[in-house]
Amino acid sequence: MKARRLLVTLAVVAALGGIFAFGLLRGEPDRDLPSELIGRPAPSFDIPLYERYQGQYGDVLSLSEYLGERPLVVNFWASWCAPCYVEAPVLQSYWQEYQDTDVLFVGVQTQDKGQYEEGRAFMDQFGLGFPNGIDDDSRMSIGWGLLGVPETFFIDRDGVVREKHIGPVTPEVMERQLAALLE
Amino acid sequence: MTAAAPVGPAVRRARWIAVLLACFASLAVAQQVQLENRVYEIAGKLRCPVCTSESVADSSVQLAIQMREIIQEQLNDGRSEAQILAFFQERYGDWILLDPPKRGLHLLVWVLPVVGAILGVTALFVLGRRWQRRSHEPIDVDPADLARVRSELASEET
Repeated sequence: MKARRLLVTLAVVAALGGIFAFGLLRGEPDRDLPSELIGRPAPSFDIPLYERYQGQYGDVLSLSEYLGERPLVVNFWASWCAPCYVEAPVLQSYWQEYQDTDVLFVGVQTQDKGQYEEGRAFMDQFGLGFPNGIDDDSRMSIGWGLLGVPETFFIDRDGVVREKHIGPVTPEVMERQLAALLE
Repeated sequence: MTAAAPVGPAVRRARWIAVLLACFASLAVAQQVQLENRVYEIAGKLRCPVCTSESVADSSVQLAIQMREIIQEQLNDGRSEAQILAFFQERYGDWILLDPPKRGLHLLVWVLPVVGAILGVTALFVLGRRWQRRSHEPIDVDPADLARVRSELASEET
């Protein structure tokens, strides 16, 4: 009787301990979410571009003009976001390498209201060659279900979101995703 | 003491207009307050995407303010609360809802507390009955001990 009670107590403690350990060790599941957009057509947006890109892409870039025509890499960033400074040179170097293919990179400065000067300084610092614009009221952030910055979406030639990368992109991520988009 | 000046029809009309205007103004204010309450009520059901454990109603970050603006616009367009919540759910998934939807795995969150409460009450009831029954059962006691207790009690009384 005593042994059975001890066994039951141990089993209950082990079960609760197991749940506790699982909760502790499973990292940050809230931040590690698959996007609702994956496998769905990418939402369109019209983004006012910075002056330096207007000659080539127009004052406002309508994503709908490219969706379903060309593969797209849409990168969301902000001037206050430290990891964005880490990934910007990676994005620029892959843009240089791939700008002659039909993939288009689009940079969206978001959650960064009114920070035009900071945005320009950011683009100067990395010599960003792909079109960048500002989502001044963060509507695109909400429309795309952003949890923070940076986030990068990879959209295939059919206009379907294939992958979303949370956090700074690395050369490995870019290689893999661009290869998949250009298949 | 001077007698009140006679009031002409023009003045009377102006007074009526002023009263009516005040009524309309207060009605407009009341409606605005009501709309804002609705906005915060709905925002309270949404998780702020860039905060930790804060609702869109509680947070003062730019994104939450923008989300409240979207809620207000959609209310003005005559959309229902369910439609507005669905708008955000479509973009962020179930994660955006502070109250998990009552389906699938989320159902556990709603069902388990009720099941737990029922089990607890049942256990208390069963145990209570058992204890009560035991308190009425005659105790198996050595007659010599019983006699000793009785004699001690009797000596204490005297």
